[in-house]
Amino acid sequence: MALSARAIEEIRSLPPRFPHLRSAVPPALDIAQEELGRLTPEAMTEVAEALGLDPGYVEGVATFYTLLHTQPLGRHHLYVCTNLSCTLRGAEEICHHLRRLIGVKEEREISADGLFSYEEVECLGACEYAPMLRCDGRYYYDVTPQKLEALIQGWRQEAGNGD
Amino acid sequence: MPEPNGAVPTVTLTIDGHQVTVPRGTLIVEAAKRVRIEIPVFCYHHKMDPVGACRMCLVEISPGPPRPQTACTTPVAEGMVVRTNSPMAVSARADILEYELANHPLDCPVCDKGGECPLQDYTFRHGYPTSRINAPRRHFLKPIPLSERIALDRERCVLCYRCTRYYDEITWDQELTADHRGADSYITSQFGQPLRSIFSGNIIDLCPVGALTSRVWRFEARPWDMAYTGSVCSRCAVGCNVTLWERRNQLVRVTSRQNDEIDEGWICDRGRFEYTEVNRPDRIRVPQVEGREATWDEAMEALLDGIQGAGHRLGISIRRDVTNEELFCLWRLLQGPCRGARVALEGRTSLPAPGEDTLLIRDLDCARAIVVVASDTADDVPIVNLRIKKAVSKLGARLLIVHPDRLDLDRWPEAEHIRNRPGEAAAAVRELAGHPLLQEGPVAILWGDGRGSEDTRELAAAVAELATRVGGRSMPLYRATNERGALAAGLISGVPDDLEGCEAVICYGPPAPGRIPASARFVAVWDLLLRPEHGSPDVVLPALGFAETQGSYTNLEGRVQFLHPVLHPEPPLREGWEVLCELGQRLKVREMDFVGIFQLQRAAARAIPQFAALASPPEPEPQPTPVLYGPARP
Ligand code: SF4
Ligand code: SF4
Ligand code: FES
Repeated sequence: MALSARAIEEIRSLPPRFPHLRSAVPPALDIAQEELGRLTPEAMTEVAEALGLDPGYVEGVATFYTLLHTQPLGRHHLYVCTNLSCTLRGAEEICHHLRRLIGVKEEREISADGLFSYEEVECLGACEYAPMLRCDGRYYYDVTPQKLEALIQGWRQEAGNGD
Repeated sequence: MPEPNGAVPTVTLTIDGHQVTVPRGTLIVEAAKRVRIEIPVFCYHHKMDPVGACRMCLVEISPGPPRPQTACTTPVAEGMVVRTNSPMAVSARADILEYELANHPLDCPVCDKGGECPLQDYTFRHGYPTSRINAPRRHFLKPIPLSERIALDRERCVLCYRCTRYYDEITWDQELTADHRGADSYITSQFGQPLRSIFSGNIIDLCPVGALTSRVWRFEARPWDMAYTGSVCSRCAVGCNVTLWERRNQLVRVTSRQNDEIDEGWICDRGRFEYTEVNRPDRIRVPQVEGREATWDEAMEALLDGIQGAGHRLGISIRRDVTNEELFCLWRLLQGPCRGARVALEGRTSLPAPGEDTLLIRDLDCARAIVVVASDTADDVPIVNLRIKKAVSKLGARLLIVHPDRLDLDRWPEAEHIRNRPGEAAAAVRELAGHPLLQEGPVAILWGDGRGSEDTRELAAAVAELATRVGGRSMPLYRATNERGALAAGLISGVPDDLEGCEAVICYGPPAPGRIPASARFVAVWDLLLRPEHGSPDVVLPALGFAETQGSYTNLEGRVQFLHPVLHPEPPLREGWEVLCELGQRLKVREMDFVGIFQLQRAAARAIPQFAALASPPEPEPQPTPVLYGPARP
């Protein structure tokens, strides 16, 4: 999978906005991941080449951030906050319920239909709406097992219709 | 910051009751070494930028906050009082070691670092006898091959990042990186691919634990079971200093030996790993005549017969690591009975003899601009390449490259690269005098032969002219180990070697350039091994390797450095200079009956001005690792 010319262009335009060349790596990786869904060695090499850095450096950065993924994930990857406020308000139960709903045993495992995976993350900055989760760039607040079911159902239908 | 008169201001402080005065900006850990106090470190390395990653170097500093501070990142200050032995410092060190060992497999009995391992030594000197941590340890598959030559054991790693920082800062090639930074961090090669860099082996020396070990030298011996000497690398003209390690009369490993004039403690993988020939079971140990074992006497007679009357149809091919002493003997022979013979040197450039006042490697440190012409320095002169990188990335020199291809120096984002057509480097150099990067000196010009693509005489003239116009100095980048010595002895010159047409050939080492000429009726091979390129010689003489021979090399800057053999070969193996002297005596050359190498060296020093240093060989180096006294344990 190669990056599109547009993505490469966008990545090349990043460095002037930062004091150091290396500071441009996280946003560049974000652009690549947005386009490809995850960061393959080829994608990291392309990012490195576009910025004039070593792929090894880019790899180190990519594996540091939990929001950047080098492994394949489900089409909808749910980040469930399990930090203090969310855990007090039932995040563990949400995770448990979610695993059952999508049929996985652990974090980052992909559901059989390829649609879902999830991971537990630290604070996403929405403690007042605990428990919460993030998926596809959107926040979902005051999550309950029922709300979760509806969400998953919705995505399943969307995928069904799309096919 | 120098004061107006150029002097660097100093600072006086007290460390464990010792007063010490050091330049401002010195780090505490370095100041402590001046009073022979060793502050233990893992992540700190004196040739790399400090990072403060491991906290091993904690000391108590007053005035200052009432907590331990890192000696490797804190610069000295006037009146500072440092305590490495206060209760706070002692327990801080022991606590850190307790954490370092929390995940450590403690497999010292099967670890090649054992006996020279800082983690082992510090634990012994500074650690608690037991641990309070009783949590599960991290486990990894181990050992993982990082390349043919290096193995990684992630369980032993203390994540000091010396190896990755070395790749990043020193070689500019991030082949090694830390993935999943944080509690789950581990070292990995880029996307799990094998390391390719020619500088990879230094990470074995750098790693303060047994996480990075050699696969070439593996499970062979403990350090205290080996003998070692400081010597010089035989693989190229840079002349890096090395330590040679012997066990049971085998050369078991080669490690770096810091000489700031040349190598700053780095060696390349050729120097580190290409030493195994001398241990080969199929080594030539006895002379042979026509395929049958013979005495030296018989072999010498056969050799003399073979070359008799060859005159200018005699060809002498010399190995790259020929010593100055052997060159001197050959010079005598070529002055006398072998006059007119043609000579070839293995692996050399076609660069002419150096001009007056060539640049020294250490001069690169003060260069403001460095021009690299017609050389891929990483391949031609590997450790000089690292010195260029240091001058550029750490000392602020500007970099200008004249070369047809992309080079590893192009990793420097601000490098300016003029891509000449092969063979036209001289023309490109002639246009450089007004170049904006060269307006501020000193300018250092390093130039090669473009691997045969350039007319080196013309390039020499162009470089000399540029040097004069921009007020710089230059350094021709010879490749063969003792090329500069051979030029000094006048055995070779700035035209490529050619033995084609020779009827009798003496081949000392692998044939140069590349093969024995088809015209040869008689071939004598004098080498460690019989190689396919040698064909089927008439006479075979056993030669010695660089780890078992006495003598010296002249490196590319003209520095004469002495070898200190660590192996002591048994007869009938003989020193090369002895063999050449015997040949000379049989050919009735006067003054080749030296009673020992010192006498020969004095004669060489008188005869060839560039060999003057041969008259005063140094005492063998003191043993390399100084034992410092360190703070006590809790
Ligand atoms: S492998 Fe060795 S040098 Fe590299 S981080 Fe680990 S302990 Fe340090
Ligand atoms: S640069 Fe040359 S002298 Fe130095 S270690 Fe490498 S081969 Fe040996
Ligand atoms: S040596 Fe000072 S923090 Fe590692």
